[in-house]
Amino acid sequence: MKKSLYVLVLSLLVLPLALAQTPADALVPNPDLHATLEVWAWQGSGVDTFADAEFAEYYPNIQVNYVLRPTGDVYQQIQLAAVAGGGLPDVSNIEDSHLRQFLELGILHDITDRALPYVPFMNEFKWRHVEMDGRYYGMPNDSGPVALFYRRDVFEQAGVNPDDIHTWADYYDAAQVIMAETGVPMWQQATARNSARLFEILMWQRGLGYVDEDGAVLLDRDEGILEILEFMGRFWEEGLALDAEEWTDSWYRNFADPNVATHPGAVWMGTFFKSWIAPDAAGQWGVIRLPAWEEGGSRASNDGGSSLVIFEESTQKEAAWAYVEFHLGRTASQVQTFIASDTFPSLETAYDDPYFDEPDPYYGGQVVRRIFTDVVQEIPEAGIYNVDYQEMNNLMAEQIQRFAVGQVSAHDALAAAAREIRSRTGRR
Amino acid sequence: MSQFRPTTSPPVTPGVTGGPRRGPLRVLWRHRWPLLFVSPFFVLFAIFALYPIFFSLYLSFHEWRGIGPMRPAGLANYTRLFGDRIFWNSMLNSVILFFIYVPIMTFMAVVIATVLHGKFLKLQGMWRAIIFMPHLTSMVAAGFTFRLILDTHSGFANQAFQWLGLSPVPWLDDVWWARISLGLLMIWAWLGYNTIIMLAGLQTIPTEVNEAAAVDGATRSQVFWRITVPLLKPVILFAVTLSIIGTFQLFTEPYILTGGGPMRATETPVMQIFSSTFANLRFGYAAAMSYVYFVTIVVLAIVQFKLVTRGDR
Repeated sequence: MKKSLYVLVLSLLVLPLALAQTPADALVPNPDLHATLEVWAWQGSGVDTFADAEFAEYYPNIQVNYVLRPTGDVYQQIQLAAVAGGGLPDVSNIEDSHLRQFLELGILHDITDRALPYVPFMNEFKWRHVEMDGRYYGMPNDSGPVALFYRRDVFEQAGVNPDDIHTWADYYDAAQVIMAETGVPMWQQATARNSARLFEILMWQRGLGYVDEDGAVLLDRDEGILEILEFMGRFWEEGLALDAEEWTDSWYRNFADPNVATHPGAVWMGTFFKSWIAPDAAGQWGVIRLPAWEEGGSRASNDGGSSLVIFEESTQKEAAWAYVEFHLGRTASQVQTFIASDTFPSLETAYDDPYFDEPDPYYGGQVVRRIFTDVVQEIPEAGIYNVDYQEMNNLMAEQIQRFAVGQVSAHDALAAAAREIRSRTGRR
Repeated sequence: MSQFRPTTSPPVTPGVTGGPRRGPLRVLWRHRWPLLFVSPFFVLFAIFALYPIFFSLYLSFHEWRGIGPMRPAGLANYTRLFGDRIFWNSMLNSVILFFIYVPIMTFMAVVIATVLHGKFLKLQGMWRAIIFMPHLTSMVAAGFTFRLILDTHSGFANQAFQWLGLSPVPWLDDVWWARISLGLLMIWAWLGYNTIIMLAGLQTIPTEVNEAAAVDGATRSQVFWRITVPLLKPVILFAVTLSIIGTFQLFTEPYILTGGGPMRATETPVMQIFSSTFANLRFGYAAAMSYVYFVTIVVLAIVQFKLVTRGDR
């Protein structure tokens, strides 16, 4: 009796969540909004696969013109238009790594009142990127939950069971076995051309970053960060890492061949594997959660992700918000975009869609998307993406390179990066 | 008189044409039509060259993020710059790169120009076109192509080395090899341009000199070293000065080929100015960098000019 009451109360509590509806899910068509919107995004951002046909049904009098450019060009064009004092679009997609700069320039429209109803529906960590002084200046678009991609064929040949990898220490042990049995290195990590991306992923996993919550440089003050860099160093030193620069032909080929056993990467990397890096490897890739740093520790991290912003300069903010809300706040829109381009929604109501429970033949029938929805809801907040991100990443990458080729110790690399970041950004 | 006529006589009927009666203004007034016709250049020059030059000087004493208020910074940008390891490293990179490729390239340009200038070579136009062709290629395309060729693991260069039984070279993954690779790209792109300059210089050397030397029994190499090179000296000097400026202004080539790496070994001053401006939004600091870098180039050009012309007096 008592038990069934408990179940009843529990289901009453859970029911509203399961049937959760965002305000945008209840939208009704509105032909009264008239506008011609200009939307900027980068090629392959997923914005080009938004549910525009449906949007046109709901807002028949809003016309949307897209301007797609290479990633870096989008930001330069925004800067130039901002400096020139004109020429900004109504809406732009911006990576969270770059967003803070534009936020602090004061060119983004404050959408706090409109965005607030959506706060409980989106990944919590995402709001940090669009928030300043308690106000919101952007709407989360996609997230970059990170997991560990692994080659089933290599693991099988080496007799290693991926499900036995719970911690990074297990991962390291597996790397040694795989190297001994198959001669395949565990991961691809460039030495002299390292980009610091993996280092950032591993920091993010632990809720660490370049800076702490107060914005003071953290790099040389945290044992966890030192542990991360030294961990990476062991793979270079012991020949367990393959030295190849990211986004080069040989890097791609090593995933396809395969010359490498695993890749800790964001969900969008799986999309690239499937579509153009290793399309022939269907059934050979699998996914597990990131190993934890200590038993029971965090197994979630983030890499990348973007948000939509409305510019202060726009004279059609009502229509611009209608566009942003329709595509990012409406569950059906987000699901449709995800199916079309694998742009992983930050909108959590989308995860209830059965599509996330479908087995994926590319991963040997594994239900991969569900892993990422679990990961994404556990991503900690970390001091990585902020106004000085590009500079900090650049300074850190150089020091990781020096460490990787054996010029400096991990400790000295972090100290040097911290020192330079302090002197250049004026941070503590 | 509606027709313009260069004249030193006072303007006809000043009462009718009006204008100031004395001083420099009067001179301007007298030449108002020619001045009007040449003015578009000066207007454009003022807007697109003079204004930016002075504005960036002003900017270099301020802190500015591109929009919003400028905060006066006094000499802070400059004092910080003098302790900036990364900026001076980029200047040093330019010097190193200069010595890696300019002497070889200039020497090759003189030799190739001499051969092209010779009477015995057939299809001269074709050879000149071939030599000059790389210079017309888009640097972005060329940079990407070199990147593919020089990729350590899958590049054509290392594959060729393998067939020849040589060990692979870390073209872009090693500090010195990356600089050499960049030098190779520079030679490829700029050899033709320099050769054309040398050819133009050679054509100004009277053939009698060479003929006289030949009559006196000089060998070809003696003619080259004792006659061609000394007479070409002003042209070589000109080409090397251009190369100094060009090397310090490098941007596209390293940006595409190496991204400035590894470990900032190929990062140039302009790349630093670019990233300070557009990645880090420190416009004032970047402007200070531009000025320090500009003064350095001027000093270098003067020193080099003095060194090379010293023997002439």
